[in-house]
Amino acid sequence: MNLPEQKPDIKALTGLADIQEFLNRFFIFSGAPDGVVGLFAYLAKKEEYDKGQMILSEGRRCDRIFLIKSGEVDIFQNFKERRFHLQLLSHDSLNYFGELALLAEVDWFFSARAWTDITLISISRKAFSKVMERYPEAYKSMVDKIINSRIHRFVDQQQYLMDNLAIDAWRENPDQS
Amino acid sequence: MKNMKTHHSGRITERSLFYWILRRHRSMQLFLLLIIIVSLFFKVFPLEMQKRIINEAIYLKELQLLYLYCGLYIGAVTIAGLMKYGMNVLQVYIGQKILVEMREELYQHVLQLPLQFYRKMQAGTVISAMTAELNAIGFFLGGAIAIPITSVLTFIVFIGFMFNLNPLLALLSMGIYPFELVVLPYLQKKYNKLNNKRVKTTRSMANVVNESISGIHEIHGNTSYELEEKKLGSFIKELHALMNKLFIVKYGIKFANNLFQSLGPFILFIVGGYLAINGEFTLGALVAFLSAYEKVYDPWKELIEYYQSYQDAKIRYKQIMQIFDLDPPHLLLPPGRDILALQGNISFKNVRFTVPGGIKLLENISFEIKKNEQVALVGYSGSGKSTLALLIAQLYDASRGSITIDGASITDLCKKDIGKNVAMIAQHPFIFSGSIADNLLYGIRAISENSNKEFPSRKRILAVVRDVGLEDDLIRFGLQAVLSQEQCRPFKTKFLRMRQIVQTGLRDEFSSAIEFYDADKYLYYSSIRDNLVFGDSVNGEFIIEHLPDHSGFMTLLRDTNLEKPLLTIGFAIATETVNLLEDFQDDEFFFRDNPMEHKEFTFYKELLARLKSPQPKNTEARKFLLILALRFIPGKHSIISLPSAMEKKILAARKMFQKTIVGINVDCCKERSACSLPEKKGEASSLKGFVPLCPSEYLYTRTLLDNILFGAVKSDQALDEHLRTIATQAFEAENLLDEVMDIGLHFEVGSKGDRLSGGQKQKLAIARAFLKDVPILIMDEATASLDNTSQARIQGLLENQFKNRKTVVSVIHRLDLTPAYDKIIVLKAGRIVEQGTYEQLMKQKGDFYELTRAET
Ligand SMILES: Nc1ncnc2c1ncn2[C@@H]1O[C@H](COP(=O)(O)OP(=O)(O)O)[C@@H](O)[C@H]1O
Ligand SMILES: [Mg+2]
Repeated sequence: MNLPEQKPDIKALTGLADIQEFLNRFFIFSGAPDGVVGLFAYLAKKEEYDKGQMILSEGRRCDRIFLIKSGEVDIFQNFKERRFHLQLLSHDSLNYFGELALLAEVDWFFSARAWTDITLISISRKAFSKVMERYPEAYKSMVDKIINSRIHRFVDQQQYLMDNLAIDAWRENPDQS
Repeated sequence: MKNMKTHHSGRITERSLFYWILRRHRSMQLFLLLIIIVSLFFKVFPLEMQKRIINEAIYLKELQLLYLYCGLYIGAVTIAGLMKYGMNVLQVYIGQKILVEMREELYQHVLQLPLQFYRKMQAGTVISAMTAELNAIGFFLGGAIAIPITSVLTFIVFIGFMFNLNPLLALLSMGIYPFELVVLPYLQKKYNKLNNKRVKTTRSMANVVNESISGIHEIHGNTSYELEEKKLGSFIKELHALMNKLFIVKYGIKFANNLFQSLGPFILFIVGGYLAINGEFTLGALVAFLSAYEKVYDPWKELIEYYQSYQDAKIRYKQIMQIFDLDPPHLLLPPGRDILALQGNISFKNVRFTVPGGIKLLENISFEIKKNEQVALVGYSGSGKSTLALLIAQLYDASRGSITIDGASITDLCKKDIGKNVAMIAQHPFIFSGSIADNLLYGIRAISENSNKEFPSRKRILAVVRDVGLEDDLIRFGLQAVLSQEQCRPFKTKFLRMRQIVQTGLRDEFSSAIEFYDADKYLYYSSIRDNLVFGDSVNGEFIIEHLPDHSGFMTLLRDTNLEKPLLTIGFAIATETVNLLEDFQDDEFFFRDNPMEHKEFTFYKELLARLKSPQPKNTEARKFLLILALRFIPGKHSIISLPSAMEKKILAARKMFQKTIVGINVDCCKERSACSLPEKKGEASSLKGFVPLCPSEYLYTRTLLDNILFGAVKSDQALDEHLRTIATQAFEAENLLDEVMDIGLHFEVGSKGDRLSGGQKQKLAIARAFLKDVPILIMDEATASLDNTSQARIQGLLENQFKNRKTVVSVIHRLDLTPAYDKIIVLKAGRIVEQGTYEQLMKQKGDFYELTRAET
């Protein structure tokens, strides 16, 4: 290689700033101390799924929150052997799912699959509680936000179901529009 | 115990200490005696020479004589010394040999003692008795005969020599011995008493420590540290007081000894000097007499010391033997007949079982179990079910009534009869340290020596493993194993075939979870080190920690302009981590996905404080920055990100590394054919067994799983059940899993099976009993700690495989399993309240019916 010997630049190597900036855009992390979001950025994992691939299934132990970096995610629930579509989450409206996993050890009560090829950022409950142990002041407001956002989502999903109760409440495949 | 047998040639614990000494290794002891007697001559001879040197050579001024006597003197002294040396060695040798036999025979006895004995006995007592206390006796044993004989003989010979020189002087110098004979034994008795107490206190201390170590979970859980400390504290204080007294007496004995020793010369000089001045005694004789007097004191002292150590050993020996002073209740091997092959008809008539203190645990137990019947024992906990099971297995003995198997009284059956015909699975089975296979074959090994029972084939072992549901566990253990070349050789082609299945047939499915090794690609889920070295050396030459000192590797980094950027990466990782995790340095969790380990945090923090730039001059600093960089895995470690320009450079360096340092053409790794590896060319030594990440090569430094996946796992979640299932199916289709299970059989379970879960231990114990394949199977809540599926699986085995093949007595809690049994025996407070078939008992609407209702 004929590149001139590069002056090694440490700034160019730090990779956390991007993720931190991404996290900061979300309602649940807004207002949290910088240190907290920085640690979440550090502990976050990138996950990639192909279109159609299952991300999580109802009934399984849930252990992490997912934030959508790119692509669309289909949230649905099986009921009486039918698949009820609840929400289609897209990256451009700062979407996430599974936030309750941060607070309690429960089983998933819905399923999620990749509607397109997607990139997700996930944060585990373990990571969340490990960080929160050191920042108890931030914890309360965080819990508030998570619960509020959960209520919003609940309302959204209900309205969606009511809107679509007629014929189209479930979809079988991503390709079927 | 009423059924004491007279077959023992004297119970081992009733033997005296000298039994061992007088009956073992007699020829060697005789030989020792011979040396002792001969050596006596060489002890006295130098004294005679002393006298002659002074009286003849010096007195007559004869140089010739002087040389002769001196020569003889030194010769005799040397021979005496050598003989003493030989005697010492021989003594210790004999003593240790006797000790070995003593320990072996005692251990054999101890193992056969009834369970009741171990209920009362603390493990610490048994352990310290068998180890430290026996050791102390061992030191005494070797000299037990030789020392007193040597001492007495030496004593007599020297006294004789002294009488020969001057009877008066000899008598006078001996006048002090009678005093010693009174004072010293008195002190010694005192010492013995104290020592006795010391042994007991030490033992109690050992028990306390032993108990708290066994129960350390509970202590941590209750934070009862002070409580436990206090328990030990009282013993420590007691021991301290004892030791003080003990040493006062001990040094008292020493003082008396020394005093008596110096009294002798005092008398000698006064009387002997007086006689010499008056010309009644030659100077030579006086010198020889003095020497003799000194010498005569040695055997005397030795005798006294011998007496002390004899007392000590006697006490210890007695105490040890007292602990184990019980007869094993049953013969080990049948006298004059073969080990029986039993059918499995069990009968109890009016059986009672009481424990010391007169508590009746079982009363009036009568039942018949026919050959091949399956019987369930049920009842509230504490009702005596386990006790009953133990009675059938001859682990307890009935206090009254009769138990027969195939008509023969169980008291007449010997241990091996039971061992070969009965298998028992305890509720909390014990797993021995060793491999899974060792544990599986434990029961079979125990009986195979005395009977012609065959060792099960591998096929049968694996079949039993599958039967009890241990298959998945075994596969997991197998996959975790790192195999040496020898271990791997027989299976290598099969393992490589498994890799091929994942690489080709299942490639699409697995590529979401695994980043396969590829000689042409930068691997984001592998470390920079793996990307550069792209292989491992069996001798560890290229492990990360060694690389910064590897001159070839470092030259390569410089030549490819990689050293500086790598140092910068290391520096960036260290800086970022130290900044981010300052508050979390004690928590291993935060370092899981970081090239730095949490215990290195302080080190790197201090290192950074000293560094001014990412390119330090100091070689140590460079080394540790480089190590961080080489560990860096871009796909897993988010602390920094790798500039894409680096990837190309690293790929180029990889090629160069292969060519110039290990001499392998990495291009051949793209094909599925074998690379020209040193191993095959027979020049392994020059290339140090380097194995590249080649699809055709087994990687001996990595686990079997790594070898099969042949790539880095992107995330553990991705390698999910679905992938496991399809891989298992594909392997199963080609019959490849047996080999993995075979490897899994060699998994070391740790002490008490600590590396196994409760369920795994239980399944292992069940498999161990099933493998024995005996006519009578006793299960004491054997499946209680298993999940429902596993429980049902074992139950299914009883109903299918064992039907009409084995007599089964099973203590069970889950009453929904009872309908499958031929007969149900219901126990309540140590008595049988009902017995019959499920239908009968349900119709009867008695205790059993109530129990089933309580369950639902
Ligand atoms: N060796 C023993 N010495 C004193 N008591 C014992 C002994 N073995 C068992 N026991 C007591 O006998 C009763 C029956 O025990 P066990 O047979 O284990 O009951 P189960 O198995 O039905 O729960 C319990 O109360 C227990 O404490
Ligand atoms: Mg029991």
